Amino acid sequence: MSPAAPIALLVAVVLLVVGRRCPERLQKLMLPLGVATIGVALWQFACDVYGATIFPTPGDTLLAYADLLKSDRLMGDIVASLFRVTWGFLLGSATGIPVGLLAGWSLRGFWALNPIIQGLRPISPIAWIPIAILWFGIGDGAGVFLIFLSSFFPIAVGTMAGVRNISLVHQRSAQNFGLHGIELFRRVVLPAAMPQIITALRIAMGVAWLVIVAAEMVGMESGLGYLINDARNMGGRYDLVVATMIIIGLIGIVLDLLVRQLERFDEVRWGYTKR
Amino acid sequence: MGIHQAVNSRHDDPAGHDAPDKVVVCGVSKAFAKGGGELAVLEAVDLTVQDGQFVCLLGPSGCGKSTLLNIIGGFERPTRGSVTIDGEEVARPDPRRVFVFQEYGIFPWASVWDNVALGLRHMKDKAAQSEIVQRYVDLVGLGGFERTYPMELSGGMKQRVEVARALAVSPDVIYMDEPFGALDSLTRLQMRSELIRIWQAEKKTILFVTHDVDESIQLAERIVVFTARPGRIRDVVTVDLPHPRDLGSAEYGRVKNHLYELLGVSHTI
Repeated sequence: MSPAAPIALLVAVVLLVVGRRCPERLQKLMLPLGVATIGVALWQFACDVYGATIFPTPGDTLLAYADLLKSDRLMGDIVASLFRVTWGFLLGSATGIPVGLLAGWSLRGFWALNPIIQGLRPISPIAWIPIAILWFGIGDGAGVFLIFLSSFFPIAVGTMAGVRNISLVHQRSAQNFGLHGIELFRRVVLPAAMPQIITALRIAMGVAWLVIVAAEMVGMESGLGYLINDARNMGGRYDLVVATMIIIGLIGIVLDLLVRQLERFDEVRWGYTKR
Repeated sequence: MGIHQAVNSRHDDPAGHDAPDKVVVCGVSKAFAKGGGELAVLEAVDLTVQDGQFVCLLGPSGCGKSTLLNIIGGFERPTRGSVTIDGEEVARPDPRRVFVFQEYGIFPWASVWDNVALGLRHMKDKAAQSEIVQRYVDLVGLGGFERTYPMELSGGMKQRVEVARALAVSPDVIYMDEPFGALDSLTRLQMRSELIRIWQAEKKTILFVTHDVDESIQLAERIVVFTARPGRIRDVVTVDLPHPRDLGSAEYGRVKNHLYELLGVSHTI
């Protein structure tokens, strides 16, 4: 048995014990790092107990990054995934927000669109993969289309809910001051719904990042999902599989942080305090 | 019209007003559909308010006084009867008459400045616009908070923003629906005295809904007392006390006793 597992456990304990005494900002970094290190220790321990050869140890995974960087396809695959997510997400926002505003504001619009949206929404974007490939072939087009579908529904539904939740007193204020048409939308409807629209964007981005990996595993020839599949098929390189999974997780965190920056604007902060 | 004028001559004038009639409520009733039947909220309300008067609508919760204010403000339609302002029938809300809500009608997504400027958004002369906004921000004591957003303000400050937003459009009439109800009692007292100061300076007609007997005596020239649902006007009481009003005076106590009697509640606990 290697000493790696006990060492990792020791490091974890040190991180947690020292972390507790640190200033708040440092604690927020050290405590989760400590918990993650416990996870690594358990992972190493499990590998030692089962003596697995196929499944990589934490050390194997770390070494796999050297291979990934050497092969220079990692950057290309990251860019391919991000490209599809970015364009699909932008298309989904550019259509989902207007549709949500319409269905939320006009009662007839709601009656006409809500059942359709609610009926299409539960269909997993994964189920659309065959159709996406049929329409767009293997490549970016299918990926962008799938991400468009993944983000359109959460964004449309969130926007619709945001508009329908505008408080009566704000509607009446708007009426009282003679706001109507475009001005009403710009000054009241859109800003009132904005906090919920941003929450919907966050949810959509999360779903998009989940779906793109699955889509690339099945129907594309580049991207992080394809990299995972490729690593398994080319001689069962599970160290590369796990290394890529960790990269996917880290990029997911960064994407969420990016969308969350929208919550910091003065115009929307009111929507995130307890009401 | 004959009946209405009779009501008019009975209730009005003792305060020495010879100003023209501003708001005339004539035979207004309101019923809501409720489980197949009807729920009568207001019944045959007649009321005349003169230009520049401060009138309180006082009554127990659920007596329809807020409904009446919403009808006068144009947000709801009466089942029967009509409301006219300056001889024109009210059919919808109008920017010349501004509502101040209890639950903060100002926009949380806009700064204090932008909220107060809402009603002035079509002014071509931007310099004149800023001058007016600044004047009313200062008038309600929020100078220095122009760039602040409502979530950073206390309840009392938010309500001041709403009062400034209303005053900035120089309205003929201001409707206030329990505007200080959500504030603590000290802030409430302070807001009342500021409102009186502003009313004396600006001479607007104010219709003010409250269920608080003291609040109505501190503020109003005339107090319209409602019965419980369905709301009818029980009586109109004139408060002939000069501002600033002495809350401990004998006359204050006399009016208070009279109001308690009209409301049918005992004055001792």
